[in-house]
Amino acid sequence: MQIKIQPAPILLFNDECGVCRTIATWVKRQVQAGSRSPSMLVRPIGQDPEELRALNQDLNIWDAYATIHLLMPDGSMKLGGEAVAEVLRNLPTTKWFTWTFAISVFGIRPFQAILNLAYAILADIRPVFGCESCGTPSPWVRPIRWIVKWVQSLFGGMHHPHPSRHFSSLPARVRLPQTHQI
Amino acid sequence: MGHRPSNEDFMPAHKSIDRIRTVTASTFDQLVLKGEGPIIVEFMSYGCAHCGVLEPDIQQVAEIVESTETIFRVNIALDPDLAEHYEVQGTPTLVMFLNGAIVGRDAGPSPDVSNLLAVVKQPYNS
Repeated sequence: MQIKIQPAPILLFNDECGVCRTIATWVKRQVQAGSRSPSMLVRPIGQDPEELRALNQDLNIWDAYATIHLLMPDGSMKLGGEAVAEVLRNLPTTKWFTWTFAISVFGIRPFQAILNLAYAILADIRPVFGCESCGTPSPWVRPIRWIVKWVQSLFGGMHHPHPSRHFSSLPARVRLPQTHQI
Repeated sequence: MGHRPSNEDFMPAHKSIDRIRTVTASTFDQLVLKGEGPIIVEFMSYGCAHCGVLEPDIQQVAEIVESTETIFRVNIALDPDLAEHYEVQGTPTLVMFLNGAIVGRDAGPSPDVSNLLAVVKQPYNS
């Protein structure tokens, strides 16, 4: 693996997901409030696979969109709940409690496990909060989304400032050539 | 969200060959409209979860059909005008061309190699 020395960890976020943008904005604010030299860089994943590979040659753009990635200065990467823990460690307002994530009981890190679970739930539940690019929600999230949509419809629907062009379902169909010529 | 890679299973598993070339507005005419033989264009974006689900299968299909058909991708986040021109309502959308003319299209096919093969081959078989 090619190791590039970078000044601070780089947090990649999905800029096509409203929840991710909100969290990234909060992290940026915390970083800027912390000190003169940033403890972390926050940047959108973007659309260029080569640009990402230049940051870390093992970084795949599809994976970057599938789960949170934190690129460490030593060339390694942290993913999912581990990345969230590292982000919290780098923020001046949250680093005071992050020692708990290292506590190990019989080889299990209970607080890290809770964080991993919380991240997994948040990642799954993003479509409920308007992440149109996140694909079809997990089965356990679908009833929640139906309820949220129903409640929204009672109040005249919800405004999406960033309308997405991603399908929300994957219909399995093959159209006949004669019927779908433009 | 399906499978979420962990720290353990991440490493070099993704160093596979990308068999699908990206076309842009500036190269579309030359590579697709003036291209020879059956050409399939996938309108996609990297932020689209469905496109991510489709990706391994479409790579496999590209490998299977590479001797007879060419698959390109158009990133609609970078080329929204192309997507609009071809009336792409969402991603992923596959549009099949033969000698510059559209002969088929499919939106959001089931992410399965055999289904995808049927989708990309049907316009040229009929």
